[in-house]
Amino acid sequence: MNYSDRQQRRFWLWLYLGLVLWGVPAGLSVGAEDVSVEPIGPTADGRWSFRNHVVPVLTRTGCNMGACHGSAAGKNGLKLSLRGYAPEIDHAVLTRQAVGRRVNTSAPAESLLLLKATGALEHGGGRRFDPNSLEYRIISEWIADGAPAPVESEPTITRIEARPRSISLPVGQTQTLQVLATYADGRCVDVTRWARFDATDISVAKVDDQGLVTVLGPGEGAISVGFSGRVDLARVTVRYPAEVDAKLFAQAPRVNFIDNLNLAKLQALNVPPSPPADDAAFLRRASLDTTGSLPKVDDVNAFLADPDPDKRAKLIDRLLASEAYVDFWSYKWSDLLLVSSSKLPAPAVWSFYRSVRDAVRENLPWDQFARRVLTAQGSTLSNGWANYFVLHRDTIDLTESTSVAFLGLSLTCARCHDHPLEKWTQDQYYSMANLFSRVQLKDGPGGAGDVVVAATSEGEIRHPRRGTVLPPQPLEGQALAIEARGDRRQAMADWLADPANPYFDKAIVNRVWAQFFGRGLVHPEDDLRATNPASDPALFDALVADFRASGRDVKHLVKQIMNSGAYQRSSTTRSENAADSRFLSHYVPRRLPAEVLLDAIDLVTEVPTAYAGYPRGWKSLQLPDSKVESAFLDSFGRPVRESVCSCERSDVPSVAQALQLVNGPTLNEKLRNEQSVAAKLGRLPSDDAVADFLFRAALGRPPLPQERAAVLKGLSDANAGLTDPAALMKARREAIEDLTWGLLTSKEFLFNH
Amino acid sequence: MIRLDARSSVHFCDGASRRDFLHAGSLSLLGLSLGQAATVGRVPAKEMNCILLFLVGGPSQIDTWDPKPDAPSEVRGPFSPIATRVPGIQISQLFPRMAGQMDKVSLVRSVYHTATAVHDTGHQMMQTGRLFSGGLEHPHMGCVATYLQRARGEAPPHVLIPRPIGNTGGNLPHGQNAGYLGKGFDPFVLNADPSTPDFQVPNLLPPDYISAVRESRRRSFRATVDASIKDFEASADARLLDANFQQAYSIMSSARTREAFDLKQEPDAVRDRYGRTRFGQSCLLGRRLIERGVRFVTINQFETVFNELTWDSHGSAPFTSVADYPTTIAPNFDNAYSSLLEDLAQRGLLESTVVLAFGEFGRTPKMNPAGGRDHHPNCWTALMAGGPIQGGRVVGASDEIGFAPKDRPVTPAEIAATTFHALGLPLDTDLPGPQGRPIPLVDRGVEPIHELF
Repeated sequence: MNYSDRQQRRFWLWLYLGLVLWGVPAGLSVGAEDVSVEPIGPTADGRWSFRNHVVPVLTRTGCNMGACHGSAAGKNGLKLSLRGYAPEIDHAVLTRQAVGRRVNTSAPAESLLLLKATGALEHGGGRRFDPNSLEYRIISEWIADGAPAPVESEPTITRIEARPRSISLPVGQTQTLQVLATYADGRCVDVTRWARFDATDISVAKVDDQGLVTVLGPGEGAISVGFSGRVDLARVTVRYPAEVDAKLFAQAPRVNFIDNLNLAKLQALNVPPSPPADDAAFLRRASLDTTGSLPKVDDVNAFLADPDPDKRAKLIDRLLASEAYVDFWSYKWSDLLLVSSSKLPAPAVWSFYRSVRDAVRENLPWDQFARRVLTAQGSTLSNGWANYFVLHRDTIDLTESTSVAFLGLSLTCARCHDHPLEKWTQDQYYSMANLFSRVQLKDGPGGAGDVVVAATSEGEIRHPRRGTVLPPQPLEGQALAIEARGDRRQAMADWLADPANPYFDKAIVNRVWAQFFGRGLVHPEDDLRATNPASDPALFDALVADFRASGRDVKHLVKQIMNSGAYQRSSTTRSENAADSRFLSHYVPRRLPAEVLLDAIDLVTEVPTAYAGYPRGWKSLQLPDSKVESAFLDSFGRPVRESVCSCERSDVPSVAQALQLVNGPTLNEKLRNEQSVAAKLGRLPSDDAVADFLFRAALGRPPLPQERAAVLKGLSDANAGLTDPAALMKARREAIEDLTWGLLTSKEFLFNH
Repeated sequence: MIRLDARSSVHFCDGASRRDFLHAGSLSLLGLSLGQAATVGRVPAKEMNCILLFLVGGPSQIDTWDPKPDAPSEVRGPFSPIATRVPGIQISQLFPRMAGQMDKVSLVRSVYHTATAVHDTGHQMMQTGRLFSGGLEHPHMGCVATYLQRARGEAPPHVLIPRPIGNTGGNLPHGQNAGYLGKGFDPFVLNADPSTPDFQVPNLLPPDYISAVRESRRRSFRATVDASIKDFEASADARLLDANFQQAYSIMSSARTREAFDLKQEPDAVRDRYGRTRFGQSCLLGRRLIERGVRFVTINQFETVFNELTWDSHGSAPFTSVADYPTTIAPNFDNAYSSLLEDLAQRGLLESTVVLAFGEFGRTPKMNPAGGRDHHPNCWTALMAGGPIQGGRVVGASDEIGFAPKDRPVTPAEIAATTFHALGLPLDTDLPGPQGRPIPLVDRGVEPIHELF
């Protein structure tokens, strides 16, 4: 390989930096790089450990998987903990149940455990390992040694690491991964043969169960490795094959750190960025993404005519200061918090919504937003946040909903057993749940919807398997004493804001990012599990650091994103970036969300939708409640606000939506309404003026010459052969309605692009 | 497909050629490319249809089609077996009408899967033949048939009634869309309850004040705008939107298709025979659709397993109890299923229509303390009928308590292989996976259940 001098210099610089950053502070002793790696072998005293050897064998050979003895009911009388999360219990089950036949210490080879697993005796699960294997040797020697139980003092696993952590190969090449486990005593063991391998994106790379990675296509994917409840990732980066002019990267705008990191990623993948979007596209996009509203015709005209080179940044500031911003983000966080009259009476819905709205208006730092939700008390009518505890009355529901909403983590699996694919244990689950076990609800004096929420000094949730109460403890925070006084929920809010908590800031940064790019850096946007890697981890980390430095200022984050060149790119692709939809090489068009679409139709047709119980002119994005009847909104994927999940909202086009637009009453009735834009424009004498206004209103741009010609012809054809003035007026009016329909059902209108 | 896609990474494979085809003007319903049409030509397309009844929740094998009268009482359950039209085959007393149709149906009593015992995994495997992993979503069998055989006339090739499976607790995709084949091959989703008095497909016809002239002018204005901007060339969703409009126009322009959705044309007696339930009327609608050119109909008996009586009979709230079987769930199925078989046979359509009915897993043989049965993917029964599938047979057997297959275990992949085979789709056909990588209909070596043919 020929490195240029510059590349070589850069290489040595990075190596030097790597040593300084990694090795020196670590005293050149802790990093796995510097510890000798041992093969799997007995402990120093020559013994095999139940916890560190026998259980991994049972896990790797599938004995304790969910479909076999790890299932809730076990199999054929033998029930093991799922993937070995409870070694003490498994030890008792194997050595004490079934009259000791499973493990026979005087004649190890006669143990049922070995006879079944090798298929010597009939076994529903078939043959799991061979008598000549290491696995057999470990189990038989452990039995011969007296089948010792796991001991508290033995070194437990502290972390695992995939090697290499990053793979960059062309399509068709292979690479074998190695998995190293580090134990509390500092030993580092090669556990590759017992590790579990999964590909996160098999369009990029696949992996077999020995850790052999095969590269299948360009892009970036990851291989997740798992062992003993720990997980790690190896990233697979595969360059796109096209010849790309390096100038495309060099010339792309670099406004802030987002661009530096993003362009480095694009260059690594050999995907060139599209050029910046034009002013019309940017105005429309920026307005829709921050306020959910189309720009009005006057705004379009003013922005397009404005010669100020800073006009985009100034527009962003104006949008962030607008009332429509408050509407839009209040709606968004009401989605997140499930504000809806399906479970709350109307006064409570309004109270909850007002609290959210006030917080958005004052741009409350996100940690304080979370704190107000999670520590709310008092009357739900005077403190709207308290309704959170009315919606989630159950401790379990509270625990799981809170983790999805504020941590982007689904803990549901750990309710019944250690999470099989993640590091969360059932102990952690019930420790955290116990933070929410002392919330008391009483009916208040204020009538419908008034509930008084209070933190009490009594109430615990029991760990169902242990049957005991665990000290309340945020997921990775400090435990409280069970007897400690005070509102336990404060500890949760404290931990969320703790800089040592990596999840809280990532969760909100990712949600906000997804609002602007249609997909989070981690996708889905509320699924931040360790085995679901970010498309650009360096960018993600930098955004989180910047967000923290800003005091968790959501508007600051929005501004950083919107001012970046990455956000301002055109949605027109180049041939070399058309296949990419993850790395921001171009803006990916998205269908407008249901409420945004309906408000946009209202705006352009000038006929507002009537919502039962709300004043005329009320926008759908101003509704405090998702349970307001609208077949149109339902058809276009409005969330029902029943469970905290980004999956509730859908922006996928469907035939039903097409039928709604073609035949449905919503759009058709607005068009023929006497107050509609078509009626207004029908009074204008010039077809040209009609076309110009409608294009600007619907698409935020004037018509192109060929469009203008086609439209003028269509409008004048409608009058052909008519002389009666009333008939002429009617025909022209209908033609304008039809033109408006054509604009409002075009992709350019239905999509944010 | 509302909730499903939000969780999925869907790959559109060959957009360019598909778009070219649309521009060429010779529209197929889903905009298949010429290349794909050529592929289709190689498949010997016997004119087979399929109706898949998905029994959401997972019926208990013991209380339905694999009774165990000799098992201990905590296994046997409260129901007795009855004889059927086929000597030697007994099913639960819950299905008296089906017993009279037994000569048309075969039972596969040894279906099992080994994935996690949540509803969602079973939904995936039983409808696509595979468990999803590595970010890859496999296509529903009906979407595969759609992809390989295209539409027949103006009718949508694959209709899903009444709504996609919603939340069943696992938060995973349910295998009811086209996965890697692209959203253009998703089923047409009814999204309405055919048992409601005023049921109709929403917005099927233009309002009366929109004349044909205006309709055509509207389309022409829309086409003018759509032709002028290049921002959408790489967008799969934008192509999907185009396909959706095409399909909407196609349905609108076909009186036959509109009629297919018009249940009011059925006599009251027929509607009663199917049962005036959501599932009963869905099955009747399914029959009408097949009669009028739809190739594949998927009917979900239930939409979720929460706060609704379903086959998910854990015995405790918010789930169903086994005691609800005789009052609601079983008659709901028996009436609809038996009527469907009767009508198809009477019309000569059963020979050309494969009818499948199964859930995502069985249930624990031993009843739990709440008087219910829990998830049990180790063993359950699938019903297969119609097309080249012979009726009146039993394939496979479970052990004495219905815990595991005793004889001829059958995987979900084999159910899929059997379905494809019955539909005349060669199993060695490759589908275009991500990056155009070929993915066979079923993994090499997976065979149809030959005993059924």
